[in-house]
Amino acid sequence: MSDKKLKKKGNVKIDIERCKGCWYCVNYCPTKVLMVSDELNSKGYHPPKFIENPEENKVCIACHLCELYCPDFAIFVEELK
Amino acid sequence: MSLMEDLRYGVEDLLRTERLPHVWCPGCGIGITLNAFLRAVLRRKIDPNKLVVVSGIGCTGRAAGYVNVDSFHTTHGRAIPFAIGIKFARPELTVVVFSGDGDLFAIGGNHFVNAARRNHSILVIAVNNFTYGMTGGQHGPTTPTGAYTTTTPYGNPDRPFNIPHLAISLGAPYVARWTTYHVNQLQNSIYKALGMKGFRLIEVISQCPTVYGRRNSMRTPLSMMEYFEKNSIVKNDASFEEMELKYNEKIVVGEFRVAKDIPTYEERYDEVIRRAKNAD
Repeated sequence: MSDKKLKKKGNVKIDIERCKGCWYCVNYCPTKVLMVSDELNSKGYHPPKFIENPEENKVCIACHLCELYCPDFAIFVEELK
Repeated sequence: MSLMEDLRYGVEDLLRTERLPHVWCPGCGIGITLNAFLRAVLRRKIDPNKLVVVSGIGCTGRAAGYVNVDSFHTTHGRAIPFAIGIKFARPELTVVVFSGDGDLFAIGGNHFVNAARRNHSILVIAVNNFTYGMTGGQHGPTTPTGAYTTTTPYGNPDRPFNIPHLAISLGAPYVARWTTYHVNQLQNSIYKALGMKGFRLIEVISQCPTVYGRRNSMRTPLSMMEYFEKNSIVKNDASFEEMELKYNEKIVVGEFRVAKDIPTYEERYDEVIRRAKNAD
């Protein structure tokens, strides 16, 4: 990633009960704002967790790629107004 | 709301959310394909009351149960005949067959061949995961030569179907192949196909980490996705040899045929009726 500061454009909302822990979202997020959480959902999968760190340029840029890759319809990106 | 947010909430309306989470395994590509399909439907602004999703039996066959439009979960292999019947009775409907490789090409192979030959106006989304997932990973007509499955523990001796080649040779006006890695291209392809008429086929190479991947050294969903990512080549003018899927080799994807103004079966049938009426 370049030194250019990225502008935060959205928030990722995760429906943890729908998640089955394939982690496509974690892998394909271009700014790496998602990570595998230690928590378990009721089915025993580890859902992703939304983590942001503007210092390291880890902000949601609202590209919606996680939504497209999620096979379980479990991720939403809420864009900032 | 932005367009992308509209689509996301629209998808939620087109799903029977009370049935989610769905039955598909972690990382299954059918969910990705269904998502792309529903988004393409929303972008085309198709009235949900004028859309019918027909599917056969198998993992992909379950898709009909999750869409909140009129849907039809038919007998094994017979998704295409049911879809043709719907289109004949109600020509104003958009009829989509959403089914798997075993259902469409093994059990329903003959229906596929003849529907494509006669150019019935339906869109077929064929999710190809190389195996019979639901019954435990037996080899099927799309398993690449040399692949390991429960019924071919020393490698598959058969040659797989070259599905785009088959469809093109039968004159289908729209033939494309994408993998589940190409989420945007897949969505655009379905969007384009929904706006055309005639027999349209989109083959979606999908991952089945549970029964196919684990016997072919791709144990996790991500490793199967990585295989698609590293081995896919977009080539719209691919030759028939290049379209053939080989075990652990390159996957050639793209829009292989886009032909307009080919008369559909429904149009030709109307023409026959017109001529018969004018005969006396």
